[in-house]
Amino acid sequence: MSTSELPRKEANVLKGHEGAVLAARFNSDGNYCLSCGKDRTIRLWNPHRGIHIKTYKSHGREVRDVHVTLDNSKLCSCGGDRQIFYWDVSTGRVIRKFRGHDGEVNAVKFNEYASVVVSAGYDRSLRAWDCRSHSTEPIQIIDSFSDTVMSVCLTKTEIIGGSVDGTVRTFDIRIGQEISDDLGQPVNCISLSNDNNCILANCLDSTLRLLDRSTGELLQEYKGHACKSYKMDCCLTNSDAHVTCGSEDGSIFFWDLVDASVVSKFRAHSSVVTSVSYHPKDNCMITSSVDGTVRVWKT
Amino acid sequence: MDSDEEDYVFFGTPIEREEEITSRRKKAAAEASGNLRSLPPWKQEVRDEEGRRRFHGAFTGGFSAGYFNTVGTKEGWAPQSFTSSRKNRAEVKQQSIFNFLDEDEKAELEGTLGTSSQFDTFGFTAAEFARKQADKEQKQRPSAIPGPVPDELVLPASESIGVKLLLKMGWRHGRAIKDSRASSLYDARREARKAFLAFASEDVKAPYPANEPDEEPESFMAQPVDNDTQSSKSLPAFVCNPKQDLHGLGYDPFKHAPEFREKKRLHLSNDKQHGYRKAISIKDSLFGSKSGKAAPGFGIGALEEYDAEDEDIYGAGYDFEETCVEEDEEPSKLSIESKQPSRLDIESKQKVVAKDQGVLPGFKVASVSDYQLERFDPPIIPKDFIPHHKFPGPLETLKKLDVPSPPEVPPPDDSNLKLLIEGVAKLVTRCGKLFEDLSRKKNQSNPLFSFLSGGDGHDYYEKRLWEEHQKLGDQAKLSLDGKHSPSAQKMTAEGRGKLLGEKPLGRSSKETTSSSIASREFQLQFNLSDTFKKPDSFNKLPEVAKPFKNDPAKQERFEQFLKEKYEGGLRSTGYSSASNMSEAARAREKLDFEAAAEVLEKGKWGKESMVSTQPLDFLAAGMQFTSGGLEQVKDTHAEELVTKEKYPRREEFQWRPLPVLCKRFDLIDPFMGKPPPAPRARSKIDSLLFIPDSVKDAKPEEDAITNRDVPAAQTGAQKTIEAAEEEIEIVAENVERPVDLYKAIFSDDSDEDVEDTNTKKVEDPEKKIEVATTTLNRLIAGDFLESLGKELGFEVPPDTPYSTNKANSSAQIETPNSDAGIAKVGTVEGHGTFCAPNVGTGTSLNPEQETTQGSESPKNESIPGKPVRYSSKHTDGLSESISGKVNAEKFPPGDKKVRSPSSRRRNWSSSSSSEDERSRKHSRRHRYRSSDSYSDSSSDDRERYHPRSKGKRKRSSREKSSSSRKHSKHHKHRSRDSPSRSHHGSEREHSESRKEKRKRRN
Repeated sequence: MSTSELPRKEANVLKGHEGAVLAARFNSDGNYCLSCGKDRTIRLWNPHRGIHIKTYKSHGREVRDVHVTLDNSKLCSCGGDRQIFYWDVSTGRVIRKFRGHDGEVNAVKFNEYASVVVSAGYDRSLRAWDCRSHSTEPIQIIDSFSDTVMSVCLTKTEIIGGSVDGTVRTFDIRIGQEISDDLGQPVNCISLSNDNNCILANCLDSTLRLLDRSTGELLQEYKGHACKSYKMDCCLTNSDAHVTCGSEDGSIFFWDLVDASVVSKFRAHSSVVTSVSYHPKDNCMITSSVDGTVRVWKT
Repeated sequence: MDSDEEDYVFFGTPIEREEEITSRRKKAAAEASGNLRSLPPWKQEVRDEEGRRRFHGAFTGGFSAGYFNTVGTKEGWAPQSFTSSRKNRAEVKQQSIFNFLDEDEKAELEGTLGTSSQFDTFGFTAAEFARKQADKEQKQRPSAIPGPVPDELVLPASESIGVKLLLKMGWRHGRAIKDSRASSLYDARREARKAFLAFASEDVKAPYPANEPDEEPESFMAQPVDNDTQSSKSLPAFVCNPKQDLHGLGYDPFKHAPEFREKKRLHLSNDKQHGYRKAISIKDSLFGSKSGKAAPGFGIGALEEYDAEDEDIYGAGYDFEETCVEEDEEPSKLSIESKQPSRLDIESKQKVVAKDQGVLPGFKVASVSDYQLERFDPPIIPKDFIPHHKFPGPLETLKKLDVPSPPEVPPPDDSNLKLLIEGVAKLVTRCGKLFEDLSRKKNQSNPLFSFLSGGDGHDYYEKRLWEEHQKLGDQAKLSLDGKHSPSAQKMTAEGRGKLLGEKPLGRSSKETTSSSIASREFQLQFNLSDTFKKPDSFNKLPEVAKPFKNDPAKQERFEQFLKEKYEGGLRSTGYSSASNMSEAARAREKLDFEAAAEVLEKGKWGKESMVSTQPLDFLAAGMQFTSGGLEQVKDTHAEELVTKEKYPRREEFQWRPLPVLCKRFDLIDPFMGKPPPAPRARSKIDSLLFIPDSVKDAKPEEDAITNRDVPAAQTGAQKTIEAAEEEIEIVAENVERPVDLYKAIFSDDSDEDVEDTNTKKVEDPEKKIEVATTTLNRLIAGDFLESLGKELGFEVPPDTPYSTNKANSSAQIETPNSDAGIAKVGTVEGHGTFCAPNVGTGTSLNPEQETTQGSESPKNESIPGKPVRYSSKHTDGLSESISGKVNAEKFPPGDKKVRSPSSRRRNWSSSSSSEDERSRKHSRRHRYRSSDSYSDSSSDDRERYHPRSKGKRKRSSREKSSSSRKHSKHHKHRSRDSPSRSHHGSEREHSESRKEKRKRRN
C-alpha cells in the first residue's frame, strides 16, 4: 500500500457522545463500529453512512472498552464501574454482568468463539469470564502482573496482556507457558499485527515498540507522537504496512512499518486521540477523541 | 330438645322470605345500575331501596304506603278516635306536619332542617369563625413561621367591637372604607390602560402575546373584580416584619447599598401600598410579578398588578425565594425597562424612568455628561519579553545573611551535646523556625534540649544556627544561579567561581563592631571550607543509605558513581582508586552501583525501611540486583543506552491455564492430570523472599523422600538455582560467626532488650569456644531460641490461631509459651532455608554423630543440676548458659523425664503453614536489617526433625507401652539439645504420654 492510500480524508464525523470518547472499534467485517465513552454509553454506528444506530446504556461509570463478537451478536464492555457487561446487540439488553475486578477495568476482549471474555484491570490482573455458563466467577485469574494491566489481546491460543509494569505477557494456553517481555516502559496499549507475528506496544514514553512475538526481539521503535499520560490505542493498518497511532495533541501519525519514518501526520481532533481502529479490509480508519467525536477517515 | 326435634317430619320446602328479600334487592340493584335504565321512562318502575314497588300508578293501586301498602301498622290505617268525657277531657291536639309524614319522609325532612353554625354568632362558633378568618388572612400575609400555624397554639380573638360595628354598617372584610368605585384614579387608570394596550399591541413583547386584542374585553371585564380585590388590600395589616431571607441574623445585605434596600422594600410591599405608586413599583409590577408565577400566556393591563387570579396555577410549584440574588437582577430588569422607551406619558409626572443602572430612585441621569469613561488599550508586551519572573534569590536567606553573626562561642565540652546542637541547628535551618518552636515545646522537660530555651549551650546553638543559615543561603543561591544563568551569559570570574561551587569571599557586612570582625574571620574560614563542599545531592544521601559500609573503598567509589550519575559534568573517566580492578569486576561493580542507586532513589521516594535496606544487603553479599520494570526515566544518554541494551527482556515461566479455560478455548489442557505446579517466583528477589514458601509447598513430597537429604532435595526442586548459590556463599561466609545471629536478632529488635543484656553478660565464655562446637551450637540455637522465648514469654505477633491447629492434647495449657517458642524457631527457620545445601556441616542427625554424642547424653541427664557447665562447654556459651540457667531455676531437676525433640517439633511441623511463613518473614526482616547476612543451622535440624517427627508420631501411637525404651532412645537424640529444653519438654511429654496411656487403657 502506498502512502497515498492512507486514509486521510475525513469521511464522516460521528457525533453523539457527550464527553470524551474513550474507544472506537470496528466490528469484525468493518461495516459497523462501536464507540464508548465518558457518558457511560456505548454507541453503535454505521461509520460509512455516518448513522447512529443504537445506544447501549447500563454502565454506571465511564465505559473504557468495548468489543463485539465475530458474529456481531454480542457485545462486551467494561469501564469504571468495575464490571464487565455482556450485551445482546440487537435488543440492547445486558445479558450478564461479571463482577470481580477490584478496580476499574481497562480493556476487554472476546475470544474467537465468543465463549470467554478476557478483561484487564486496574487490579493488576487479567480475568477470563465464561459466557457459556451462568457462573459469575472468573474461570481464570492471571495475576502475575505487578501493575495495572492496560490492554489485552487474544489469539486462538494465547492471551496477551500489556501492563504499566512495562511487561507484555503472553499466556499460551496450549503449552501452559507465560512469556514475559519486559519493555522497561509502561505499556499503554498492545495490538497484534494482522499476521499475529508481532505485537505493537504503545509505551508511555511516547514510543511505539514493535516486538517479534516468537523471539521477543525489539523490531522497531516509532516516535514522534505524544503519549505520556493517556490511554491511547495504536494499531497497524490492515496490510501491516504502516503503524498508526494518535497523539495527545489531537493528530494522527502514520509510520512506515519497516523504516519507522513518519509517513503521514495530520491533525484530526481538537483534543487527545484516545483510540484508532483500522478497517479490516478497506482503507478506512476511525478515530475517537476526548473532544467527543468519532471521525471516519478514508482515502 | 334436640331429640324432640328429630321426631318431627317436615314436608315441602319452607318459604324463605329473607331470601326473597335479598333477591329482590339484588334485582333492584341490578336494575338501578344496568339494563332497566336504558328502558324508556314509561316502562321504568319506581322502587324503594328495598327493591319493592311502591308506586303503582293511578289505575293499579295508587301510591302504596303503610304496612304493605297500608298505613303504619299491620292492622292498617285507622283514623284517630276522638273521645272526650267529663272526667277525661279531650285535649286540644296540635297537629304538625310530622303527623302526616311517612317515616322515610320524616328522615328526609330531618336531614334538611337543622341549625347551622354559620348563624351562630355567639360562643364557640364565633371563635371558630374568627379563627378561619385569621387563617385566611394568614395565607395572604407573610408569616414568621412558614406553613400553617398550629391552630391549637394561636387562637385569635373574635373580631373587635369596632370591626363588628363596621360589619353591621355594611362593611365587608377586605374592603376599603371609602367608596372604591368613586375614585377618579380608577378612571384615569382605565384610560391609561387603554392607551398602553393600544401601543403595546404594535410591538409584541414577551408577556403580551399576539392575540392581545381578543383578550382585551376579558381583561376589561375582569377590571371591576380586580379593583375589588385591589381594594381588599386597602387596610394595611400591621405585621411585624418576619424574617424572610436566608441571611444570618442581623446581616444586612444592603448595608453599603441603601438604595437597593429601598428598591427591595418597594418591590416587596408595592402590592400593599395602595394609592402610593412610584415609577419603580409600577415597573416592577409590570415585569416582575410579585409572586413570580404569572401565567405565561396572559398579560394584564399596564397599570395592573398581578393578583391572585393572574397567577399561574398550572405552573410548576416553584416558588423562588427572594434573596439578594434577585436583588442583583433588579438592575437588569430596570435596564430592560429602560431600553424600551416609556410610552406611559400619562403618568409621566409620577414616573421617573431610570436610564441607567446606577441611578438612584428620585434622580435622573443627565442627558449630557461631561464625564466619559475612557478606555485604554492594554500595554503592548514587547516581543522579546519572556513571561518568567526571575527571582533575585530566596529572600529569607538573603535577609539572614545580613544578620550579624553571633560572637564566636566555643562548643560545649560534652560532645554529645555538641552533636545534638549541631543536628538541631541544621534541621531548624532546613525546616524553618517552626521546627525550633515545635521541638522546644516538645522537649521542654528534657534537660538535653535546654539549649533551645536559653540554657546550657544556647550560645553555641545560636552560632550554629547562624552558620547553617549562611550555608543554606549560599547553597540556595548557588543552585539558583546555576539554574537560571543562561549558558550564553558572559562568564565572569565570579560566575565561574559560582559555577564551580566557590564561594565569594568577604561577603560580610561593613560593620566595624568586634563581633562582625569576628564573624568575618569566621566566615572566611567557613567559606573556604565550604568552597569545596559536597554537592547537594550528595549531602542529602542519608547516613543509613550507605550500602557498602563494609568496604570503605567501595563505598567511596559508589559515592563517586552517584555524583557522576546525578550531577553530570566533566570528570575523569574511570575510577582512579579502582584502577587495579579488572574490567569485568568493574563492570559488575557498576551494575551493583546502578542497582544500589536505584534502591536509594526508591528509598527516597518513601518506602524507607523494607525496600531500601533489603536489596542493599543483597548487594553487600555480592549479589547483583536489578529491579523489574520500575526503571525511572532518565534523560541522560548513557541511561538510554543502558535501557536499550536491557530491553526488551524476555523471561519464560510456567503458567497453568485452568481446565475450563482450555475447554472454552477449545484446546487440550497441557496440564491435564498433572498435580498443581509450585508457585513460581517472580524475580530474583522474590525467589529469595519466597523460598520458604516453596519449601513449604514441597513438604508433602519431601516426606516421601528419604529423611536425610531432604534439604538438598528441596533446593534442587527450586528453579532459582542461582539464588541458592548465593545462599551457599552467604552461608559459607557466616559459619564462623554465629554470634552475629544473636546480635542480629536481638540488637535490632526493641522487644528484646533483656536478651541483649544477657548476651553481654556471657560474652566471656564465648571466647573460649572451639570452632568445632560451633556446628553443634548452631543446631542448638533453634532450640535455644525456642526455649528462651518460652522462658521470657515473648509475644511474637501473629501466632495466636496457631495453638488451635495443634494436634496436641496439651495445647491449651501450653499455648502462650509454645507460641513464643514457635515463633522463635520460626525466625531461625527462615535463615535455615538459606543454608540448605550446607547441611553437611550442621548435620548432627547423622547416625554417626548421634552415636558419638550418645555417650554424653547420659551425663546430661544424670546431672540436671549443672546444666550451665554443660551448655557452656557444648556451645557458644551465651545461649546455653542463659537457657540453662533459666531452666535450672525454673524446672526442678528432679523432673527427669525426657521429652523427645521430635515430639516437640511435631507441634509446629503440623501447624498451619501460613503461620510458619509469617514468622519466617519476620525473621527475614531481622536478618536483612543487620549489616551482614548470616546463616544459621538451626533450621537444618528443623528440617531433619521434621520428617523424623512424622515417623515418630506414628511410632509413638504404636509403642507407647514401651515407654521406657523409648525414653532411652529419646535420650540419645536429646543429648545434643540443651538440658533446659529437654527438661521443659519432659513435662509436657510426661503429661502427654500419661494421657495417651489413659486413652489406651480406655
